[in-house]
Amino acid sequence: MSTLSQPPQQADNLARPAPVVAAVGEAALPRRPRRGASVSRVSRQQSIIAYIILGIGSLAFLIPFYFAANGSLESSVDVLAGRVSPPRSWHEIIWQNYPRSLDKEHLDFKPAFANTVVITTLCVVGQIISCSLVGFGFARFRFRGRAILFMVMLSTMMLPGQVTMIPLFVLFRALHMVDTFLPLIIPAWLASPFFVFMFRQFFSQIPEELIEAARMDGASNWRIYWQIMLPLSGPVIAIVAIYTFLGTWNDFLGPLIYLNGREHRTLAIALNAFKGSQYGGAAEPQLLLAASVVCMLPCLILFFAAQRYFVESVAMTGGKS
Amino acid sequence: MTIAKAVRWLLALAAGLVVVWAFFDVSVRLWREYNPNDNRVHLTVLHWGDHTEDAIVKQLIDKYEQEHPDIAIERINPGSSDYDSKLKTMLAAGTPPDLFYLRTDALPDLAEMNLLRPVDDFVAQEQQKSGGKFLDDYYSLLLDEYRYDAKATPPSHGSGPLYGLPKDFTTAVFYVNVDLFNAAGIPVPYNGWTWDEFEQDMKKITALNGKPGYQGRKIYGGYFQLWGDTIENLVWSYGGSLFGPAGIRDIRLDTPPVQQALDMVYRLRITDQTVYNPTGIAKEGGQEFVNGDIGCLGPIGRWQFPPFKEIKSFKWDVVPIPYKEKKYAASAIFLTAWSMSMGTKHPRECFELMKFLCGKEGAGIQSRLGLSIPPLKSVANGPAFLDPPGFPPVHNQVFLDAIPLMRITQMPPQQEWSEIFNDHITKSIALGEESPLQSCQTIKALWFDELNSPLRLHEWPPMNWRLVIGFTAAALMALLALLWWRARKEKLGFIDRSQERAGWIFIVPWIIGFLALTLGPMVLSFLLSFAQWSGLRTIGYADSVGMANYRQLLLHDPTFLKSLEVTFYYVVLAVPVVQIAALAVALLMNLRLRGIALFRTIYFVPSVISGAALALLWLQIFNNDYGILNAVLRRLLHPITMHYPAVAPPDWFGKDATWWAIPGFVIMSLWGVGGGMIIYLAGLKGIPASLYEAATIDGAGMMRRLWNVTLPMLSPLIFYNVVMGIIGSFQVFTQAYIMTGAGPDNSTLFYVLNLYLNAFNYYKMGYASAMAWVLFIIVLALTILVFRSSKNLVYYEGLKS
Repeated sequence: MSTLSQPPQQADNLARPAPVVAAVGEAALPRRPRRGASVSRVSRQQSIIAYIILGIGSLAFLIPFYFAANGSLESSVDVLAGRVSPPRSWHEIIWQNYPRSLDKEHLDFKPAFANTVVITTLCVVGQIISCSLVGFGFARFRFRGRAILFMVMLSTMMLPGQVTMIPLFVLFRALHMVDTFLPLIIPAWLASPFFVFMFRQFFSQIPEELIEAARMDGASNWRIYWQIMLPLSGPVIAIVAIYTFLGTWNDFLGPLIYLNGREHRTLAIALNAFKGSQYGGAAEPQLLLAASVVCMLPCLILFFAAQRYFVESVAMTGGKS
Repeated sequence: MTIAKAVRWLLALAAGLVVVWAFFDVSVRLWREYNPNDNRVHLTVLHWGDHTEDAIVKQLIDKYEQEHPDIAIERINPGSSDYDSKLKTMLAAGTPPDLFYLRTDALPDLAEMNLLRPVDDFVAQEQQKSGGKFLDDYYSLLLDEYRYDAKATPPSHGSGPLYGLPKDFTTAVFYVNVDLFNAAGIPVPYNGWTWDEFEQDMKKITALNGKPGYQGRKIYGGYFQLWGDTIENLVWSYGGSLFGPAGIRDIRLDTPPVQQALDMVYRLRITDQTVYNPTGIAKEGGQEFVNGDIGCLGPIGRWQFPPFKEIKSFKWDVVPIPYKEKKYAASAIFLTAWSMSMGTKHPRECFELMKFLCGKEGAGIQSRLGLSIPPLKSVANGPAFLDPPGFPPVHNQVFLDAIPLMRITQMPPQQEWSEIFNDHITKSIALGEESPLQSCQTIKALWFDELNSPLRLHEWPPMNWRLVIGFTAAALMALLALLWWRARKEKLGFIDRSQERAGWIFIVPWIIGFLALTLGPMVLSFLLSFAQWSGLRTIGYADSVGMANYRQLLLHDPTFLKSLEVTFYYVVLAVPVVQIAALAVALLMNLRLRGIALFRTIYFVPSVISGAALALLWLQIFNNDYGILNAVLRRLLHPITMHYPAVAPPDWFGKDATWWAIPGFVIMSLWGVGGGMIIYLAGLKGIPASLYEAATIDGAGMMRRLWNVTLPMLSPLIFYNVVMGIIGSFQVFTQAYIMTGAGPDNSTLFYVLNLYLNAFNYYKMGYASAMAWVLFIIVLALTILVFRSSKNLVYYEGLKS
């Protein structure tokens, strides 16, 4: 039987369940599949067809990026006229769109960026610490109620966030935390089930002898956690960090509910407000495009810097286990 | 390799620096906010307005700050469309703005909830100082509109406390393009015109199309501003009214004058097309008027002055609203006041600022900059209003002449009314799908349904929180005790106590999170779903309504059903399309080809982008005028369009939104197919090669292998993805909120968006909680259904390989 799971913050988008699948049960070591074991061989003719299909698909996938980049460097007249051809010369490029779209009158980038970085950093750190602690607890200690609690934890992942959205607002309001970052950060320090599950799976596979040896040497549980478990779990930490980063960076509903002041808002909210100020004769779509390019850039950089973890995340917990 | 490593280190270093800088920047700002050395009085001011009005308010506030160095004012302008929700958010959060714009229709609710601070005491002092003259100069009608007696039955304007000072107001007029009128040989009707004359004039102006000087343009005679109150204005000018004297149950939509007015609109917009009929998001006639393509525009207030100031290409002016007979001439009134919230800590300073903004000086500055009619008679009749500098000579007197014709709206303040009315009236007079009479009958039926709904009919008793919480706590305790008892029965075995304790300590973060962020809220949400509670007040004001929320949802709420319909449409379309695409792409990626890694990257990259940036990008890609999608589609469709010019790519979120908006969202999620692809790819890599070899030896072709080996082995994954896809698709929010905001015509009102609007725009917390539970039940039921039906389809051995 498989119990199904997803990272918490990504729930509002069908296209983006994290590429991680988990089949709960007695955890097995994540055997790397033999590379290419079942890769299909293809004839020459078939490969040509495949290349054509792949090529057309790639074009379709890349066009939005092209449109964003190209439009963000055109004049508003060109964008509004629907000009999609690339600039003919270097001089036609309007680099000025970027600083303009980020300035105080438009996106007001600086405070929003700083806020987003702070919130995201604290969430990433919080998830890593809390989830690894809880994962360690579930993986390496036997205590009564463990099985039930673990099942309860997994089943909370199926709960749509909307059910708790209103009471949480009431709670944080009662604590006078509305319009602070705390409602966005605190949940990350209280362990998300999905990431706990990942850590737990990982920790379960570490050989018992290692821990026994450390115990013999008089290491406390904390030292085992801190000096053996955490240093070993680099890949899991990377995956948790990546998905927490993407989820928090792109989160819209949370900041929309909790952050009011202009100085407190995140990039996502600033972007939406910027869009709201664009209408009628004042519309400058090239600035909107520039702003969205800037906002997605960190995610793209992260992807290219940590590409191997994106694939590994599937190999590790996923596909099969 | 080393270069890649160096780059990675550089990136990490840069990221570290950015983080350090961000923490520094944020702490500096936080410190400034709590700076104990700042002795100034801090006021927060909330208002709306486009960039021209924003500049005007900024100028006023800057001037006041300059004159009063001991006062620091923070100005917030969320824009007109988000204003109400912003105000309510701030009130609900317990951080209300000190001073804010208030429309009369928003007054009753806020006054009844005791959220507004009356200004009678300050006004009395001013009256004393000025010898009773302070209020004399204000138009008394405006003051009456801001007096509200919540305790009277029925609650009424005109008496009771005064909630704020009127800032400005405007009568409604028509703006005319004088050049077009002259070209069509029509005298500009400064002294009024009848609807018959109007209709003829529209025809004459539209007849200019194609004449020399007008080629390549599309000229329309006019444009109707069709909001609830302006439609009401048209009805008045036909001698009718939407409601009778007996109030909101006395609906008169099917009386002849109302029908005549609506038929006229329908005729001009749909049948004759002499009046511009824009459809789609954010399309209004204002821009076309500025372009010089529209003869006249109305009924509308004076707030068009700042945006029209820049018009150089033609001469414009204002004229009265047409009427059926002179005696029916009428004008709607739009008015705004500065009001003070009950929560302000500095009422005295607030009133001083209010006095400045609504007094001679503030009103004078506003008028000169082109905002509406000043609330003070002396300023309105002076040069600041009649001849503001920088504006073309316009018959401003027309606005003042309409003052005696002003009528107060009879539209019910309930948000349900405007929803029902706006949704259905557009079906006839904007979309032409039905006759105005049909629309009116639907509106009437729905309105009575709403008035007779269980939530409205009863007086509900307050929620007995003590009892409820006591009971819930007892139930939880019992459950815990049961678990404890069961745990005790479990044999300790070789578990030693210190291990047990350590285990519990390690999982404490999750336990706290579970209790405080999941279980507790779930219980509260469940309880709230049986309550009626405005989130603007404390939870003690919640009323217990039993099952009424659920009954209202399922039986009396067409909006809810619409949102279900929209969401189901999306789920049914998106889940299969996206899953099949993901699987197909994964199969391609699994081929042994050169350079496949590059393709994999290309297909995967888009899936790391989500949220606001994604929505904003795609909003422009889908744009019918300049988006790249339709540009490409047009080129691809060219061979067809040559022969059938009627074929065109859909205007996704515009006029074709009823059917195409949802497929648009599906296309958007297809862009992120990489996430699903990589899961399937991992699954494919895990299928043992021996299975394929065996199949091949048995003579299975490619399709047979796909059907009999690949799909069964992948079935647990497919099953997982389908379940997650269903859950995710029910929770679409960000895209819809940012890109379409439920519009047009609610065709993108996704379930969660509807829930959010109820919770955080209307603050119907109880109702929204009930919606959340209905969502939960639907998702749960679907998941169970998928589980059940997949029993024979899913090959679980695939998991164990």
